[in-house]
Amino acid sequence: MADKQQQVVVKRARHKSSVKDPGTPGVLKLTKDRFTFMPNDPSSPVKHNVEFRTIKGHKFTKDGTKQALLNLTQDQGGNYIFEFENFPDRNVCKDFVASAIALSGEAGRTVPEKSAVPIQDEQLSAAEMERRIKLLQEDSDLQKLHKQFVIGGILSEAEFWATRKKLLEQNYSRRPKQRVALKNDMWSTKPLADGQSNRVTFNLTPEIILQIFAEKPAVRQAYLNFVPNKMTEKEFWTKYSRAEYLHSTKNVIAAAAEAAEDEELAVFLKQDDMLVNEARKKIRQVDPTLDMEADEGDDYMHLPIQDHGLPRNDNKDVLDSQYEPYRRSFSQHLNQHAAVVLQGRVIDVELGDTRSVAEALARTKHAELAKDASDVYLDKERLERISRMTEIEDLQAPRDPAVAPLSIKDPRDYFDSQQANAFSTLGDTVSGAKQLKCSVSTREAYCSLKECISEIKFQGLTEPTINSEVAFKVLNGLAQNISSNKYHLGRNPNESVLDSLPKITREELLLHWSSIQELLKHFWSSYPITTKYLLTKATKLKDAMSQIYPKLQEIKESVQSDLRHQVSLLVQPMLQSCVFMDQAFCCRP
Amino acid sequence: MKFQIEDVTVYFPYDNIYPEQYAYMVELKRALDAKGHCLLEMPTGTGKTIALLSLITSYALSKPSNPIKFIYCTRTVHEMEKTLSELKLLHNYQLQHLGPAAKILALGLSSRKNLCINPTVVSAENRDSVDAACRKLTASWVRELAAENPRIPTCSFFENYEKSASEAILPPGVYTLQDLRAYGKLKGWCPYFLARHMVQLANVVVYSYQYLLDPKVAGIISKEMQRESVVVFDEAHNIDNVCIEALSVSVRMQTLEGATRNINRMSQEIDRFKATDAGRLRAEYNRLVEGLALRGDLPASDAWLANPALPNDILKEAVPGNIRRAEHFLSVLRRLVQYIRGRLQTENVEKEGPVAFVASVNTQAGIDQKMLRFCYDRLHSLMLTLEISDTDEFLHIQTICDFATLVGTYTRGFSIIIEPFDERMPHIPDPVLQLCCHDASLAIKPVFERFQSVVITSGTLSPIDLYPRLLNFNPVVSRSFTMSLTRDCICPMVLTRGSDQLPVSTKYDLRSDPGVEKNYGKLLLEMVSVVPDGIVCFFVSYSYMDGIVNSWHETGLLKEIMQHKLVFIETQDVVETTLALDNYRKACDCGRGAVFFSVARGKVAEGIDFDRHYGRLVIMFGVPFQYTLSRILLARLEYLRDTFQIKEGDFLTFDALRQAAQCVGRVIRSKADYGMMIFADKRYSRHDKRSKLPGWILSHLRDAHLNLSTDMAAHIAREGIKEEGSQMIIKVAVLDLSIACDST
Repeated sequence: MADKQQQVVVKRARHKSSVKDPGTPGVLKLTKDRFTFMPNDPSSPVKHNVEFRTIKGHKFTKDGTKQALLNLTQDQGGNYIFEFENFPDRNVCKDFVASAIALSGEAGRTVPEKSAVPIQDEQLSAAEMERRIKLLQEDSDLQKLHKQFVIGGILSEAEFWATRKKLLEQNYSRRPKQRVALKNDMWSTKPLADGQSNRVTFNLTPEIILQIFAEKPAVRQAYLNFVPNKMTEKEFWTKYSRAEYLHSTKNVIAAAAEAAEDEELAVFLKQDDMLVNEARKKIRQVDPTLDMEADEGDDYMHLPIQDHGLPRNDNKDVLDSQYEPYRRSFSQHLNQHAAVVLQGRVIDVELGDTRSVAEALARTKHAELAKDASDVYLDKERLERISRMTEIEDLQAPRDPAVAPLSIKDPRDYFDSQQANAFSTLGDTVSGAKQLKCSVSTREAYCSLKECISEIKFQGLTEPTINSEVAFKVLNGLAQNISSNKYHLGRNPNESVLDSLPKITREELLLHWSSIQELLKHFWSSYPITTKYLLTKATKLKDAMSQIYPKLQEIKESVQSDLRHQVSLLVQPMLQSCVFMDQAFCCRP
Repeated sequence: MKFQIEDVTVYFPYDNIYPEQYAYMVELKRALDAKGHCLLEMPTGTGKTIALLSLITSYALSKPSNPIKFIYCTRTVHEMEKTLSELKLLHNYQLQHLGPAAKILALGLSSRKNLCINPTVVSAENRDSVDAACRKLTASWVRELAAENPRIPTCSFFENYEKSASEAILPPGVYTLQDLRAYGKLKGWCPYFLARHMVQLANVVVYSYQYLLDPKVAGIISKEMQRESVVVFDEAHNIDNVCIEALSVSVRMQTLEGATRNINRMSQEIDRFKATDAGRLRAEYNRLVEGLALRGDLPASDAWLANPALPNDILKEAVPGNIRRAEHFLSVLRRLVQYIRGRLQTENVEKEGPVAFVASVNTQAGIDQKMLRFCYDRLHSLMLTLEISDTDEFLHIQTICDFATLVGTYTRGFSIIIEPFDERMPHIPDPVLQLCCHDASLAIKPVFERFQSVVITSGTLSPIDLYPRLLNFNPVVSRSFTMSLTRDCICPMVLTRGSDQLPVSTKYDLRSDPGVEKNYGKLLLEMVSVVPDGIVCFFVSYSYMDGIVNSWHETGLLKEIMQHKLVFIETQDVVETTLALDNYRKACDCGRGAVFFSVARGKVAEGIDFDRHYGRLVIMFGVPFQYTLSRILLARLEYLRDTFQIKEGDFLTFDALRQAAQCVGRVIRSKADYGMMIFADKRYSRHDKRSKLPGWILSHLRDAHLNLSTDMAAHIAREGIKEEGSQMIIKVAVLDLSIACDST
């Protein structure tokens, strides 16, 4: 652990005695076991040197709010508030503190026991550590388990995570962070005019600014060029709003006249050249079966007036060509807007800082366009898609089963339901499962399924193989059966018995349930007990289990009589598994 | 699968075949056997293209001693790409079963703009400038100069291609435009000239209608195609329009100004040549005296667009003496331009026949009919003599000469219409002189005469007896197939009333009624909240679409629609529309769902498929009638009435309904597909309108769906989607079960 202790984070921050306090500027230094705060002014009395062991928890303000605060709460009730210059700084410290608190908590208790453990505690990289901490932070159930067993000394850190290797990997490398999509809402320039004066007000929020920047690269570029050297942010947006207002009045001549006087305003009023260039590049990527631009190249009839009887009428406006650049169609805007929304949030920057938003957008755009030019992979993918599209799927035996990749939102939930299946077959303790209130029993569903299968085997797979009623019945049966397991375990929030229980009891039950799962998992994984280490582990697990047993009994008795039956149904398998484990341990060879 | 139709073994790349596909092939085979033309209507969504391709290629394979060439015409480049990729699939299948004997050469042909790989040339903006940029590098005189002076740029791809001479051929295979470009890059040869050369040798050629129908293009590309060819016009419901457009010309003020500039430039060139190289002009004069308008053996790179008149109508005699000298010809052109300018100054709409026009040109400008007829060839010869490479600058004078040649050649089936302003905007002077062709049979006549079998096919050719009259030919087979269905995969509805029970229509008096606009908006809003994935909307014109979308925006309806789906819209800018379509597809692919606003008769309606989840519902807002006040249309209607006894009203309804059917037909591609169609106009409920819809739509149109209001339509849509959804579930369930069976 020596190498980890050298890891140090140093950030500028202000220490505050309360949230409203202006604070003392200084430097915050974080190491693995303690943090120190040195004020810039050496004479200031505010100096801190605190061990993380004494820190109980930490709180922080949300990203994008007014202040980047971090609040460390001490065991004895005192707290330390730090304000950082920006959110990234704060987040670095926040993450570090979180890991440090978690570690110091463990370090205090688990270290003495570790000497007895034969398995070498793996040397964790900092990234690995961070990953674990992150997982713990994201998942409160996991955190509880971790607290109960690892910090409680029943399992070692390594053992705890060994069963969750998959979770770790998947969690980090593959699953992209879910992002909030952009709102599909056009910022229509409906100015708020008050009846009397000629004033027109526009509302701009950071969200709208992001949208404007994404949809209008010219405005973004102008912002980067003009602000703050040429004009202030406020002037910039005033000018922009003025331009938008001119557009909304649809008075092209007035727009042109104003643009002639003011060259900065002209930037907003003219057509967006960057968009045009971008379109030119993108068009080369387009699926050739859609490419209507290519048709132009084949059209030898220059006959604008007679387009299959379709009157063309827009190009006959009175306007001279000098006004041409100031005309902008609503349709164009509509398409651009939808394209941006479809692309979603491409940047990962706080919205508050307009400049950084603009820069980040410009960067991603640039990278995107540079990448396009030589992407062989894309080309191949496109070809593949075309060939797939040309096939008439109906006349072809299906190539692959038409399945979409399963996207499991909550892997834990899914895992649990899978486990529950295994669990019920393993111990056959779930005798109550059969008395479920479903319309088709498992047996019936199974029979029907068997029938269908034999029918398919007999007939082959032609379109209306089974009538919809039967299919529906089967599906219902199957689906019910799966959900019934969930139901039984009380994980289904909608129709569970648990909902009728008081909240505390419910949570306690769930906690016990997950702890039993965890214990059982570890218990069985230590079989066959061949070494002394495994024996101590199993003993420890068994003891922990036996502690849960009376608690469950207690819960069972504490609930009201009308619910008692259902609760006992719920608790039954848990109790049985406790007993079963106990027996298994006693009967070991 | 492989099966026999009489003596032909047909290779069909799928395991199953629809009965109508088989019937289609049988009819087609009979037409080929009879060496005659045929007219076949088969609903969209039944795999027409693959049936066609597989029968004709199999037919060719079964008769190796007498190979027939297969010319497949599509309306658009993207359809060309689609057809070629289907052909690729078929070809692979045939190779698998027949081995190398099945090898064929199939390729698509397009303009330089789509085939060029020289980066400096292809970056030019439009087709004409790409053509000109290419000519600047490859014209024979430029290459001659470059041989002496290495600093003059040439195109390395073209030079390589020329150097390899007879070795430059494409190996057998199926080549899309993309493949041609890739092959060109690989070998360092110019794909455009390679393709043009290979077209003569290929078994299958896929190109645009215009390469056969427009005499200007056909004259240089298709003139050497053999008689033993099968020509197919796919999606041919608009073929009469393409035919008349091929022979129509319009002249505006800008054209005249440009033509004047061109004439001045040519006269400067003539002066320059007189000073430096007088021999050249004399040589041209001598050649013209000998009766050769053009040197016969032009290198391909010099070839310009050919004569606009049809091959049979071009006079095979010497250029008249009074325009043989370059200066004289220029002065004739000047007089002609001057005369047209005078005619454009009119205050009233004028309409006259070609004969009257030619007579008045003769009396007022002293140009007789024969001189007019030779204008085009004379100009072409002069431009070659003057070694003009930037042909894109000379389009204006070319237009004038096209006009002169056509007006001098044809006496019937055309009229000349001069309009001082657009009917809808009388305050804006925008004079235009139009030479309109009314007779669609003129342009297609040489095709029928030259090739042994011409197949005209589409999803909507009803009434099928009208086409032989419009195009003036006798098909040996003329049939309309219906769709055999095991389930209802289309659900057409006629919506006549809005949510407030008031009638909806795009009729002239109701068109701009805010109530109707609102009702249409409400209809769409209901639908976006019910129907998953993609929805396509067709409007009757661009101006109507812009108007109604703006009004939806102002009333906040658009905002509500956008809460359900993304909105994309077709504009007149093709680049933008293409990108919008691409994004629309992405939005449907990722499950976001989107609406696409488009225009009937527009580019999207003509050739983009909205099959499967790209279009679960299509709404046709209004009846897409042609703009009935257009003089051109009126003149054409008059001509149709006089020559074919077709009533104006009938033709207009026929034309509008074929467009509507075409629009809604875009949503379905195979029988596994599902799509709903809403015809939102009260006029569709009338029998005389509705009955013009093709049979495959009518047969699914239930009586209960003939007179719906918005809420009823929404209800039907909801039920339909639900049913379709349960079908899907069953399908997936069956699949799952079969997997389960396999694994146990």
